[in-house]
Amino acid sequence: MRIEAQALEHFYAHEKVLNGVDIEILPGSFTAIIGESGSGKTTLLSILSTLLQPSLGVVRYDGKSLQELGDIDRFRRTNIGFVFQFHYLISYLTLRENIALAALDTTLIDPLLVELGIDKLGSRYSDEVSGGERQRAAIARALINRPSIVFADEPTGNLDTKNALGVYELFKRFAGEGTGFVVASHDKKIADYADIIIEMEDGIVKQIHKR
Amino acid sequence: MITPLKALRKNRFKTALIFISMSVSISAIFLISAISGGVVSMYSAMLKTDGDIIVTQKGIADTFFSDINNSLSAEIRKITGVKESSALILGAAPVDKLPIVAIYGVSDNRYDSYTLASGRYPKEDEVILGSKIFETLKHPKTIVLSKKEFVVSGVFKSRIGFEDGGVVMNLSDAGELFHKSASIFLVSLNDLGKSEAIVTQINALSGDIEAKTTDSFIDSYNQFKIIQTSSDVIGAMAFLMGILGIVSMMSMVVNDRKGEFGIMRSIGLSSRVIIFKLLSETLIIALVAYGVALGASLGILELIEHADKFQGYINGEITTVLMVNVFIVSVTMALLGTFLPALYASRIDPMSLIQRGGA
Repeated sequence: MRIEAQALEHFYAHEKVLNGVDIEILPGSFTAIIGESGSGKTTLLSILSTLLQPSLGVVRYDGKSLQELGDIDRFRRTNIGFVFQFHYLISYLTLRENIALAALDTTLIDPLLVELGIDKLGSRYSDEVSGGERQRAAIARALINRPSIVFADEPTGNLDTKNALGVYELFKRFAGEGTGFVVASHDKKIADYADIIIEMEDGIVKQIHKR
Repeated sequence: MITPLKALRKNRFKTALIFISMSVSISAIFLISAISGGVVSMYSAMLKTDGDIIVTQKGIADTFFSDINNSLSAEIRKITGVKESSALILGAAPVDKLPIVAIYGVSDNRYDSYTLASGRYPKEDEVILGSKIFETLKHPKTIVLSKKEFVVSGVFKSRIGFEDGGVVMNLSDAGELFHKSASIFLVSLNDLGKSEAIVTQINALSGDIEAKTTDSFIDSYNQFKIIQTSSDVIGAMAFLMGILGIVSMMSMVVNDRKGEFGIMRSIGLSSRVIIFKLLSETLIIALVAYGVALGASLGILELIEHADKFQGYINGEITTVLMVNVFIVSVTMALLGTFLPALYASRIDPMSLIQRGGA
């Protein structure tokens, strides 16, 4: 899915956190949004992922604005995946049930668990597995409906280096299979994996690097 | 199905509070409806025994205060189509240690309505006792009624609690006690199809009396209306208290689980799915609470029915209709009480996940 954002501005109360952002996300690309805290990367990610309406400007998904897309819940469920900094798995459900909650087709769960190397953990609860395994389950939930694009906000923020690199490798692998990834992070190591790096500073795009 | 059960187990403390709140409310509705329904049904059954038409004093609010001339009973018997007319004096008085007991003075032709368990029907200065009061008074040989001693000539058994806990005597003795010759006439007919015409003829006999078919009398009896209205009001209060209990507890539950609903919103579950999820959780609680409340109410009614203190006068009845009605009320209570918190949950902004908090 191709995403185009034009003249995005966003305010929290009177504080301007985005100040005229124009970017384009290409289908199947691995895009990293990097920058210091307060640079506006999380706000930009939230707007691109439909969680937040911009104060000004427009975002188009394959040429259609949000208003033209109709049922936003349905659009989000079928086209977009999310990975958060904290795994946000529901604690009273097993990893498998967490993924099933999002799944449109539950027969895809087991192959995906195998693909992510957590097939033996499906019946465990989130507090019974490691941080890296929890984040893999969260990635599985994001990928289960084969979305066009996955948004991740600081997905490695709570992981050690080894697990963090494992997550980037997973993103890279799935990006190679056609799923786009947009990852907001302050971790510079992501630059080694991303195709496009958008550098944010004080609410504006400072630089775009393409590899 | 598994998901709501797991959610309930995870939030077991608040689940227990909602369950208790609902069980108490449903039990209250069951008990008040059963007890008031039992009172109405017992009194109605008593009036319907051999009574197709009831004759009372005109304009009287309560049969206990009705005072009619017994000589009219003979004239009623002469009307074509009337099979029998029996006179009844309804009163209440202290009997021995019991502060209030229902007293029935009956004409001789009505004794057949009381099935004797032992002894014989009463003559002058004699009474027969219902089996319940006979047990309560520990098998007395005599009783004292308004400072006058009566010999117990027999014991009868009745499925109607008011009768089984009461005293039956002949009409003249009751007339002396309550200073009237009759309270009501119970008129039985050969052909029920002619009841309206006979009612008109009876009413024409005297301006002091009022005849009605028994069904019409029961439908319009003021005391029944008062009992029914009181029961409905108390039941409605219990229903509202139940809803308030659910609303407040579910609001706390939704607040505790904000992160969970934010996740659901972020993965694209629709508002409808989230509302349905919460409604299904409270419906499960409602079903269990209904079962427990039904069992508890049956147990409490059984205890009340056999408690000497109530002399068998409180005889609650949980009919199939009541069970169905209370079931509908319980489901409605759960749905109404959960809807607003569920609506709030369905509108939780998933951005809150990014800004703060977790599941």
